[in-house]
Amino acid sequence: MPQLDTSTWFTMILSMTLTLFILFQLKVSKHYYPENPGPKSVKSTSKHIPWEDKWTKIYSPLSLPPQ
Amino acid sequence: MGLPIAVLIVMFPSILFPSPNRLINNRLISIQQWLIQLTSKQMLMIHNQKGRTWALMLMSLIMFIGSTNLLGLLPHSFTPTTQLSMNLGMAIPLWAGTVITGFRHKTKASLAHFLPQGTPLPLIPMLVIIETISLFIQPMALAVRLTANITAGHLLIHLIGGATLALINISATTALITFTILVLLTILEFAVALIQAYVFTLLVSLYLHDNT
Repeated sequence: MPQLDTSTWFTMILSMTLTLFILFQLKVSKHYYPENPGPKSVKSTSKHIPWEDKWTKIYSPLSLPPQ
Repeated sequence: MGLPIAVLIVMFPSILFPSPNRLINNRLISIQQWLIQLTSKQMLMIHNQKGRTWALMLMSLIMFIGSTNLLGLLPHSFTPTTQLSMNLGMAIPLWAGTVITGFRHKTKASLAHFLPQGTPLPLIPMLVIIETISLFIQPMALAVRLTANITAGHLLIHLIGGATLALINISATTALITFTILVLLTILEFAVALIQAYVFTLLVSLYLHDNT
């Protein structure tokens, strides 16, 4: 039976592994299925920095020490 | 180049699937993308989150086996899936992957597969042996099923085609009947090519479902 001749087995398995696991998966992984477009919230997503809560007098330019 | 041509033949179907690089692709890539979305939705419906991580593997598996089988229906072509070596090389690692995933994540449940519910006490040892054998036969069955189906189909086409050719000189009517059989057989082989790819992938996904 020609399929049981083990001399070719190494070549076949090696090339199959290469094709299936690398080539095909690289191609299929590039398929991009975008989501349905939806509305985006208007509120800005910038992070809340604690020192921007209050504007204190010490930062006014006239009250800073002269440079 | 001392490269055996079988390597190039195995890698050939990947040329028929160009990789999508643009936002809007050409028709061929769009059709393939749509087909992959269709099959992946159908096939991944039964899986939970853990099983869906195998989506890429299953999709490239079905595309590879399907395209290789279909290309083998061209005259004088070589079909790599007729080689038992390649099918064993596909079946054993994938099946072992599902079993090991099951062992790692649900050890007790995967061991519990060896004993169906509600067996009477004296039958337990025999049933465990039978279940173990049926587990270990799964990869062999996967590989041999694919090899045998594709090889048998190709063999039938060869033999009936040869018979048609030989019969033309003897009696044209019989040759015509044989030719009709050949046409029907070729249509069957198209179906078989696709079905075998599907069955292989489906079974791997079922083994995965058992184990995730």
